[in-house]
Amino acid sequence: MSHLDIGTLFEGFASSISLVREMFPPDFARWEKIPPLAMETIAIGFWGTILGMLISFPLGFLSAKNTSGNIVLYNISKGLVNFLRAIPDILYALLFVVSIGMGAVAGVLALAFSTIGLLSKFYAEAVESIDTKPVEAIEATGGHSLSVIRHAVLPQVFPLFMGYNLYALDHNIRAAMMLGLVGAGGLGVELFFQMRSFNYQKAAAIIVIMFVIITVIDRVSAYLRNRIIEGTFLNKQNRIKDFSLLSIIFIITILSLYFIPVSFKEIAHGMPRIWEFLNSMFPPDFSDISSYVKLMAETVGMGISGTFIAVLISVPMGMLSARNMAHRPLIYNLMKEIANFFRAMPELMFALIFVAAVGLGPFAGVLVIAIHTAGFLGKFYAEAIENVDPKPVEAVEATGARFIQRIRHSVFPQVMPLFNSYNLYILDRNIRASTVMGIVGAGGIGFDLVMSMKLFEYQKTATLILIILFTVMLVDWLSSYLRKKVV
Amino acid sequence: MVRVENMHKRFNGKAVLNGVNMSVHKGEAVALIGPSGSGKTTLIRAINGFVVPDSGKVTVGGKGINYRNKESLRQTRKKIGMIYQLFNLVERTSVLENVMAGALGRLDRGVDFISSTIGFFSRQERGKALEILGFVDIADKAYERVDKLSGGQKQRVAIARALMQEPELLLADEPIANLDPKTSSNILELLLKINMEKGITLITVLHHLDSVMDNFGRCLPLKTETSILTAKHAPLPKNASMTFMNLKGRLNAWQRKSAFYKAGNWIFRVVPFYRHSGHFLQDVPSGYRDAV
Repeated sequence: MSHLDIGTLFEGFASSISLVREMFPPDFARWEKIPPLAMETIAIGFWGTILGMLISFPLGFLSAKNTSGNIVLYNISKGLVNFLRAIPDILYALLFVVSIGMGAVAGVLALAFSTIGLLSKFYAEAVESIDTKPVEAIEATGGHSLSVIRHAVLPQVFPLFMGYNLYALDHNIRAAMMLGLVGAGGLGVELFFQMRSFNYQKAAAIIVIMFVIITVIDRVSAYLRNRIIEGTFLNKQNRIKDFSLLSIIFIITILSLYFIPVSFKEIAHGMPRIWEFLNSMFPPDFSDISSYVKLMAETVGMGISGTFIAVLISVPMGMLSARNMAHRPLIYNLMKEIANFFRAMPELMFALIFVAAVGLGPFAGVLVIAIHTAGFLGKFYAEAIENVDPKPVEAVEATGARFIQRIRHSVFPQVMPLFNSYNLYILDRNIRASTVMGIVGAGGIGFDLVMSMKLFEYQKTATLILIILFTVMLVDWLSSYLRKKVV
Repeated sequence: MVRVENMHKRFNGKAVLNGVNMSVHKGEAVALIGPSGSGKTTLIRAINGFVVPDSGKVTVGGKGINYRNKESLRQTRKKIGMIYQLFNLVERTSVLENVMAGALGRLDRGVDFISSTIGFFSRQERGKALEILGFVDIADKAYERVDKLSGGQKQRVAIARALMQEPELLLADEPIANLDPKTSSNILELLLKINMEKGITLITVLHHLDSVMDNFGRCLPLKTETSILTAKHAPLPKNASMTFMNLKGRLNAWQRKSAFYKAGNWIFRVVPFYRHSGHFLQDVPSGYRDAV
């Protein structure tokens, strides 16, 4: 872990800001190149989600304790889901680019795999938390176990599933923007190229486009999710609005197909190559294991210090973006938008900027993690503060306590367990994220991973992947164990 | 001690308080009773500034409340303890920490302010909190989490928090509405004990006349009752020793009555209270305790 103190931290932020200044005004000169790439990005995100959804659907039921029906099957599916979940999407992209070649197909497959890990877990959790009474009622009629799922389980989990699907779609379109960094198609390819050739103004143009797409999708998905959760989707009042929204999404999806050269021949051709690639990884080469473990420790350190800085930024940010703390709509809405921007923009995009600003190395990675997850935490903290029970707050106010005493003795005790739980979740997430920072040179084990692939040292790649998997699964387990303790 | 003059308050265009007058003497225990929506809660929340009246004047301890100035409002609140229907405690923290919060208003300057903000309280303050917990009879729970306690225990903790302020006035907003009858009676007795032994003025909102009755057995209207009634209200029955049972049978009538009730050694003034009516509740005649 490189030397890190407050001074270098501020210097880092300052040089990043001066780089951002160099990006203005954005240069839209090569505008005509962008729409096809944008469509390709959306297509990668969309088809990756669909593919992942189709596989997650049975896998979700198989990895849920109450619908799996067979303990062996349950354990195998659950293990598989955890395994798939531990690998970051950009790493899948790398693996597919290396095995079946550059392009959108690798991106679609990468997102499909990471979606399976994500959605199957969500699906299984939803299925496990259903009300068991209707299940028993159908069983009491002598129904087949599949008809129990169809008539007692599915109606209960369907709105939740739809919400998760939208979340996955939203997440995947964002991720698709960055898969281009490793050659898996989309806007990222162009962004990476422009950043590498120091055309910061052209890069800025692409970032602006990304921002627009992300914002639109974020809002649409939030709107649809709310409608589905409230059960007011396509009801009388909103029928025209919802229906036209759906039609637009449908048209864009169909159009996007034109921009993504999916040929089944190519995929079929690629399959044996994936097998060849996996074969060439065995047996893993453990000769450099001690240096890899050191690198992994550095990576974990990046995640931890990034999280720490994020927490420091997020506490004031969360308070300022909470309606019941900031009081002035201008302040809390502005702060919410800022947090949302940091959260929604892909972190590898920040990584590109920070690497250009402060140079290669883990310092850039720490800054990226800090900034990106300050957005997450700022949003989570604000929600927690807004959900605080106002009754004790008033009671402490009634004693004549000052504002800061009120915060300390009525708000703080209420939000602390939630904050701890969010921090642990984000720490877990950040350690996972820091494993891929190296792909763009922002420090950590990811750099060696890419290098081993570029040098065709696939046996070393295998070792690195194993170390990452082991660490991520360990941290995941540790974090969920601790989270159960704090709440 | 507390004087409310010609108070008006509207919520969403609906008049909740319509020219209310009230005065409460130092050391007195007063219950405001009346049906829901009659504005009882609004009235006592206006006394410590959680409701800002549209017009009218409130004085506490001879000083008028300035609703606009946050700092002066805070200074007023320091001397007023508030007890709630739902206890308003921080559930996840310990009983002692909740009681300590009552000291925050007093510890608002200098080192005390800084250390209390960090979460440290002096040994004297902690000792005082434990002593108060002993007084409200819940000292054995001092280090338990509030969410482990029963409703009655929670209300004792909330009362302890209010006492920690060293208040001159206690406001209680339906303090027993969420408790079972037995616990209700204990809590009411505790409030009256505080009023009697510590001389802290008590204004409490009670929803049901029953709770007054059940806890105090026979309640006698004072001789002075007729002088309390204003001309536009129906006069009380002539039999001065009317028991509470009689009153209960005349629920419609009680809404129109203002009376003192004796309960053991305590005198309780029950103030009828209902919306759209401008009462002038006259001062308690001097020496009313002797009159009973």
